[in-house]
Amino acid sequence: MDPVSRWIVAPAVVLLLTLIACDRGEQVATPEESVDESSPRSGGILYRRLDVDISTLNPVLFTSRYDLMVAGYLFTPMIHLDADLRPVPGLADSWEIEDEGRLYRFKLNAKATWSDGRPVRAADVLFTLRKIADPQSEAMQLGAGFELLDLTRTRAVDDKTVEIGFREGLASQLIQFNYLLPIPEHVYGAGQFKTAFDGGRVVGNGPYTLVRRIAGKEVVVQKKKDWWGPKLPYLDTVWFKTLSSDSTAWNAAKIGEIDETMVPSDTWLREQNNPALKSRLQFLRFYGLAYNYIGWNARNPLFHDKRIRRALGMCLDTRSIITNLYGGTARAMAGHFLPEQWAYNPSTPVLEFDTSAAKQTFTSLGWLDTNGDGVIDKDGRPFQFEMTITAGSTQALAVAQSFQASLKQVGVQMDIATLEGATAIQRILAGNYQAVYLSWDLDPDPDPYPLFHSSQFPPRGSNFVYYSNPAADQLMERGRRELDVEKRRGIYQQLHLILADDQPYTWVIQPSLKWVINERVHGVKISRGWGLYIWYPAQFDWWVSAPPGGERAQTSAAAAAATDSR
Amino acid sequence: MRATIARRLLYAVFTFFGITVATFALIHSVPGDPVSFYTGAAGMNVPRAALDALRREHHLDEPLPVQYLYWVRGVTTLDFGRSIRDRQPVAGTIAAKLPRTLLLNGVAFAIAAMIGIPIGLWSGRRPGRLLDRGSAVIFFLLYSLPTFWVALLLMHFFAVRLEWLPLFGITSSYHDELSTGARLLDRVRHMILPVLTLAYAQLAIFARFSRAAVFEVIRQDFITTARAKGAGEGVVLWHHAFRNALLPLITLLGLTVPYLLSGGVIVEEIFQWDGIGRLYFESIRTRDYPTTMALTVVTAVATLLASLLADVLYAFADPRIRLAGGSA
Repeated sequence: MDPVSRWIVAPAVVLLLTLIACDRGEQVATPEESVDESSPRSGGILYRRLDVDISTLNPVLFTSRYDLMVAGYLFTPMIHLDADLRPVPGLADSWEIEDEGRLYRFKLNAKATWSDGRPVRAADVLFTLRKIADPQSEAMQLGAGFELLDLTRTRAVDDKTVEIGFREGLASQLIQFNYLLPIPEHVYGAGQFKTAFDGGRVVGNGPYTLVRRIAGKEVVVQKKKDWWGPKLPYLDTVWFKTLSSDSTAWNAAKIGEIDETMVPSDTWLREQNNPALKSRLQFLRFYGLAYNYIGWNARNPLFHDKRIRRALGMCLDTRSIITNLYGGTARAMAGHFLPEQWAYNPSTPVLEFDTSAAKQTFTSLGWLDTNGDGVIDKDGRPFQFEMTITAGSTQALAVAQSFQASLKQVGVQMDIATLEGATAIQRILAGNYQAVYLSWDLDPDPDPYPLFHSSQFPPRGSNFVYYSNPAADQLMERGRRELDVEKRRGIYQQLHLILADDQPYTWVIQPSLKWVINERVHGVKISRGWGLYIWYPAQFDWWVSAPPGGERAQTSAAAAAATDSR
Repeated sequence: MRATIARRLLYAVFTFFGITVATFALIHSVPGDPVSFYTGAAGMNVPRAALDALRREHHLDEPLPVQYLYWVRGVTTLDFGRSIRDRQPVAGTIAAKLPRTLLLNGVAFAIAAMIGIPIGLWSGRRPGRLLDRGSAVIFFLLYSLPTFWVALLLMHFFAVRLEWLPLFGITSSYHDELSTGARLLDRVRHMILPVLTLAYAQLAIFARFSRAAVFEVIRQDFITTARAKGAGEGVVLWHHAFRNALLPLITLLGLTVPYLLSGGVIVEEIFQWDGIGRLYFESIRTRDYPTTMALTVVTAVATLLASLLADVLYAFADPRIRLAGGSA
């Protein structure tokens, strides 16, 4: 897929901040196994790809994962997430949660300083939170994560301790602090906040400092040798190149212009066994917290009955799609939760492809082909509906056509409507659709409340399939307030079964993500759920082998970085 | 003459406002707005207050006619507002990217014209000869090759296999440390592949257009007369035929200017040439109204100016128009 279609296929990707995952259970060659075991080398340059140019360096205003990826080098979040996406210390050394999840008390790292040498203070965290809460900042992403923030109960206890209050206590709140990258009040407290980071001056508290940013071309960051943090990263310079075309990025990876990139499935399948490339590139594949689904508009009388939704789902030949369309690099799904998530219930059954059982269901519910036109009908109305897919994805079209063909066998007529991304979103949120093929990127916290709770119909939330089940509602309400992870797991495992049984969606596949990484890059590890980066330490543990003498870009870039950082 | 131009200018002003109204109406009638792009279908409860602030800032909370007036008021002072996506002033972004697209397309068109027009003129002179038929076949073959495929092929061969030319971008990452001469060379090397990709299909257009023009003229009576009165072949061609074949070519050049500006999205995307084409596409996709509208205005103005220029050139090239203008 080219970047355009990727954004269109998954509109949520743009906004929902979610990264990439892996599956340690599969026989995917984890890179640590393949690299030589020589000890990590400090120094060198890593060339990374930005699929989409960053829109800002201001970590309060980030809108894409790329914004956050770059900001993660320049700033330190309150907490990190480890390889299992569990909270570990970041800027905050430790924290306590009180008042049933309504009060968080963070103790900041005593050594933490800004890149101008001033200490990081609790007041800076307060300043950042106020900016997030101020509608004038237009902090869309963070504003959503901190919507319940209660500024009246938020205060600096002392210079290094901050108390943050919330109007409600939600279990998912803690993980939001991974997105909170405090900024210094003494630098950004005055002047135009929305454009304060555009001049090229960034004062952060991360292990790297900004060398330069050229819009549309590159962002270069350089290691801060005297960083306050516990462990200095290996790489001296990280060089982000904006490269929106997938085919160009693949070529760039082949000739070493960039060291890492995600590649489209077809490229990956075709090239992964190419011996000429295997010596130069590591081919990685892993699962992320993302899936594709068909959403059924339950307000439509056709899809109100879960037996109908189940029967329709049984007409989707998932195995064939996985084999033929994804070359075996995707998974069939058993409902909303993914094996990478702790909320996953392994005993949830997968809805199997079975057109004859589907046909039986339709017959038993009175849907018969009474007029012999090949389409089943009831009360004089044929079983006919339209499925919306978003333009630009050949895979979505192929899935839709496969579905269309098997539905035809049971006498259901499905038409395919292709809509441009933003148009599709607007129609869907207005409830003006029958069925839709979409994908989700999920947050590391499994709370499905905005997607399936009956209070979350648009415009309030994203339950645009109008799913409503009191038992599920009750579990979701309990789940988001339960602070004990084990108890919470039990709640979500029950919910998993109910959702799978009700089939508000037909869960289609969980696609795996395919990457290539230059063989000179070592220490690449994959997290359970977030893939290659943004968890901790991830990219801060990467190192590169010494260049084999006189790599032109390598040396001259180093020179450039050195002259620019004076 | 002056009256002709004045009348044309007046039309141009009306046309311009017509275009702005049409563009404004079109982009606003497309479902989805910049704010819906922010919220998307995602399960994020983006705070209402922040959305309202965004709407207010860009006057999206006003009725459409009022929005239009706000926008026109800005345009008349060359203030196109700030992009909703990256918060940068739109005028600055366009000013940075427009020269890149102009350069790329200008060079490509110049090359295509310099090769295509002479071949077309020459083959139109003697239709049916080997040169005529041969060039026709080759040009049509070239014209029918899909751009993205040719681009990737060129890239694969020259940038990946041979590594003679850079893969993408406008300058190398080490551009800034180079000497002035080396910088120029660096830029030229980056331009070769995209220019080739843009130029090969245009060749056919220029060649066939000029061939048709000559072909039309060469069969007319005055050419026969010229030949009959014993003028040499060179005189007949240069003096009589080609001059008259100029008119359709002026039209073609006038039509070309909008393409120079709007650029090729595909070529800009594949070679990561950070110009207007990609910006336009991206702004429409993200419903970044200020950027889309500003680009439309710029393109519209350029198109109007180009057709104005073509008209003026006509007046110079064609005595009949000159005469008609003078008596009007």
